[in-house]
Amino acid sequence: MRIFQKTNFNFIKHRKIAYGFSIILLVAGIFSLAIKGLNYGIDFRGGSEVVIRFEKNADVGQIRSVLDAAGVSGTLKQYGMDRSFLFSTVFQGDTGQLKSLVTNALNERIKGNPHEIVRIDAVGPSIASDLKWSAIKALLASLLAILLYVGIRFEIKFATTGVIAIFHDILTVLGLFSILGGLFSFMPLEMDQSIIAAFLTIAGYSITDTVVVYDRIRERIRGQKPSEYERIFNESMNQTLSRTIITSGTVLLSVLVLFIFAGPAIRGFAFAVFAGILIGTYSSIFVAAPLVYDWLHLTKSSVRLRGSKSA
Amino acid sequence: MKNKRFNLLLIVVVTLVSLWSLWPTWQDYSLSKEINSFGSAQDSLKYVLSHREEIDEARKKSLKLGLDLRGGMHLVMEVDQVDLFEQKAWNKDQKFIAIMQAVRANAARSDARIIDLLLAEFKRENIPLSRYFYDIRNSDQEIVSKLEKESVDALSRAKEIIRNRIDQYGVAEPVITTQGSRKIIIELPGVSDENRVRNLLKGTAKLEFRLLREPEVMVRTLDRINSFLVQNGVAPKAQSLPDSSSVASSLLPASETVAQSGNSAAPNPLYDVVGLSGNGTAYTLERTREYVLSLLRRSDIQALLPMDSELLLAAKPDIGKGGEKVYTIYLVKKGPELTGGVITEAKATFGSQGVQPEVLMSMNSEGTSKWARITGANIGKRLAIVLDGVVYSAPVVQSKIPNGNSVINGIESLEEAKDLEIVLKAGALPAPVRITEERSVGPSLGADYIRAGIQSLAWAFFAVSVFMLVYYKKAGIAADIALVLNILIVLSVLAGFNASLSLPGIAGIVLTIGMAVDANVLIYERIREELAEGKGVFTAVTQGYDRAFSSILDSHVTTLSAAFLLYTYGIGPIQGFAVTLMIGTSASLFTAIVVTREIFHLLLAKDLMSEKSFG
Repeated sequence: MRIFQKTNFNFIKHRKIAYGFSIILLVAGIFSLAIKGLNYGIDFRGGSEVVIRFEKNADVGQIRSVLDAAGVSGTLKQYGMDRSFLFSTVFQGDTGQLKSLVTNALNERIKGNPHEIVRIDAVGPSIASDLKWSAIKALLASLLAILLYVGIRFEIKFATTGVIAIFHDILTVLGLFSILGGLFSFMPLEMDQSIIAAFLTIAGYSITDTVVVYDRIRERIRGQKPSEYERIFNESMNQTLSRTIITSGTVLLSVLVLFIFAGPAIRGFAFAVFAGILIGTYSSIFVAAPLVYDWLHLTKSSVRLRGSKSA
Repeated sequence: MKNKRFNLLLIVVVTLVSLWSLWPTWQDYSLSKEINSFGSAQDSLKYVLSHREEIDEARKKSLKLGLDLRGGMHLVMEVDQVDLFEQKAWNKDQKFIAIMQAVRANAARSDARIIDLLLAEFKRENIPLSRYFYDIRNSDQEIVSKLEKESVDALSRAKEIIRNRIDQYGVAEPVITTQGSRKIIIELPGVSDENRVRNLLKGTAKLEFRLLREPEVMVRTLDRINSFLVQNGVAPKAQSLPDSSSVASSLLPASETVAQSGNSAAPNPLYDVVGLSGNGTAYTLERTREYVLSLLRRSDIQALLPMDSELLLAAKPDIGKGGEKVYTIYLVKKGPELTGGVITEAKATFGSQGVQPEVLMSMNSEGTSKWARITGANIGKRLAIVLDGVVYSAPVVQSKIPNGNSVINGIESLEEAKDLEIVLKAGALPAPVRITEERSVGPSLGADYIRAGIQSLAWAFFAVSVFMLVYYKKAGIAADIALVLNILIVLSVLAGFNASLSLPGIAGIVLTIGMAVDANVLIYERIREELAEGKGVFTAVTQGYDRAFSSILDSHVTTLSAAFLLYTYGIGPIQGFAVTLMIGTSASLFTAIVVTREIFHLLLAKDLMSEKSFG
């Protein structure tokens, strides 16, 4: 089976359209980040969360009023599992106290519908700020590592545009989180540790597609005149189009499975990776390689690449 | 040809090692299935007893499930370094106390290291650290490094003590590690009584024997605090108290109540919340306890106490007249006569009447002789037994105790007495610890997670492998075989290295399923291209593998480095994801390149491959 027979798109000629699209995406994301901001989970803001599961269906409003009456202040939301609710409140060093407060109130006021506290998380403010710092450090370090590696394997223009593409991908997903955050009850899209894991996965994977395209360009560009670059870039991108899309497709397939089956704890992560890989595939074709072309074109330089095999 | 045989051998060895490493997991699974299959509990027990060694062995080597899947607690505790440094200082004066308060306030706001905050605060005040720490001739730098060493020591000691407590309590396979200079990470799988564990862990277990001040001194002190509160206005918190005016009168039998409460015209802010009986004993009610404690913490109130004295509350309430819970207030000397360091043995038992649980303690020889001297010198006086700042009991010393025995009573349940026994035996923590992070998952949610994880694994495998078959026909089979081996390798490495599988870990495997076939996609697409150029199958396969290699390597290295950084900087659950992703990605280099290639070579040799085999 083949999805893409011989394609012949002129990616380079129409690259400005893609640039425009990317800029719109990024500006919308940044705009939303500036105005609406992000929904931070307790990993990054500190706090306590209790997941309560009832035996039978229960009404959010009723539970909320029971908890209010018991003097436990916080927010109650439907949790992405059957008959379950997520109650979040400020950080409590003693989760035992919180648990008994919630349990007593619910037992007393909601009769005939037993509940179980299936999960309690409490993250102190110092831990939250630690986590934030390590997340930022990990992201920066991974971008640097990728820049270095691709720089060594190809050359600095390729590496820089590759990292720009990663930046583009992560920023777009971040923007999506801001825009869509809190809109869906089955997927609150809160920033937590798992989203950082998603970003690093996106960073590592986004460059994969990019490298596939680069690799082909490297193979073909050797010894060619700069005037031939446009043709070579286009041909390389068309030749690798099928594999770029299929490699992403298999990963998207498994991430989709995660999104559907793995439950609410993984859903935000799966969404981030899904969006990130989609954007990453787009950016390898429409952002990374065209940017290299523009760079070469503007500086009128020819490439000296490392590591290409003469076959 | 030699090289090829080596590859084949390698594949066989890897497969066998993986299966061997996963064998105990399978055994464990089938054994527990067997145990559950018996009709009666007796039969099950008999089976367990007769197969004990086998079961233990299998369990020890089987793939462990993470906390989130099994249910359990994950705790992060922080050693209070400010307190630790305070302990290390000598000749502490008002200035020092003020500085340490500033350090404490700063520490709550920033996440800089405590030692840096301390140094900065002393620099700002232009006081050398040596005025309070170690030797006067030491430079700041020397003191800082000494204190740093001190805190590293304290952390590892705290970790050992906590490990002792957990071992005594009995948790299967606890994992206790330290992180940085003040964090202890504790993983307790399968813990059901979280409250008890939390109480067991968070106490410092600082045991002190302290002399009580005379009742008259206590009454005078309380009077002084009362009039101070009258003069300076009551703290705003008092207004929120529920009908506090009735506290004192409801507390005690009317005959015992002292004059103060009769004098109802004058405001008595303190005696609204503290009752006083004729023999000079002070009480507060359960509902006013927090407020009284907050009063006692105020530095202006502390300044009113007699020299070297402290007001402490009882650990447990007594039942007052109206059935209300009342807490006794004690005025004790600040300096302990003796501390828990001398305790060598502790034992929870029932007291002489056989109903009250208590803990018997014995001391080492140094403690014994001190204890004899202290008790001998204070006959007729009251000696409070203070644990972590609350008074358990304050018995009157009847006679000299020569054998180094002492007893803690005033304990509510035998369970609590057992916990006290554990913490006393394990010893006191070098500084207070507090819980800064706690995540606990109940077993029912864990079971849900397992189901969700297995479902995701199965569906992802199904979807990806069917796609490969449909898209690449015969070549897809090779990729699918490689995929099976890849999953096998990930699981066996986890089992072999005693790492545990968590829900994020399963997510990592699912993601690996999608990524592992990528290498094959790259190779197959390349082979198709070579075939399209009219090359023969053999040449196309060889060149396909060769030419796709560089992009496969590049993409794997980038994914691996991102996963590695995630592992390095990540904490807890995220590390599980990073680990499986790393193993899976590395394994796919082997399975997708070596294994599939070997399969093709075999098929080519048998003439079972054609141009059509790549779809």
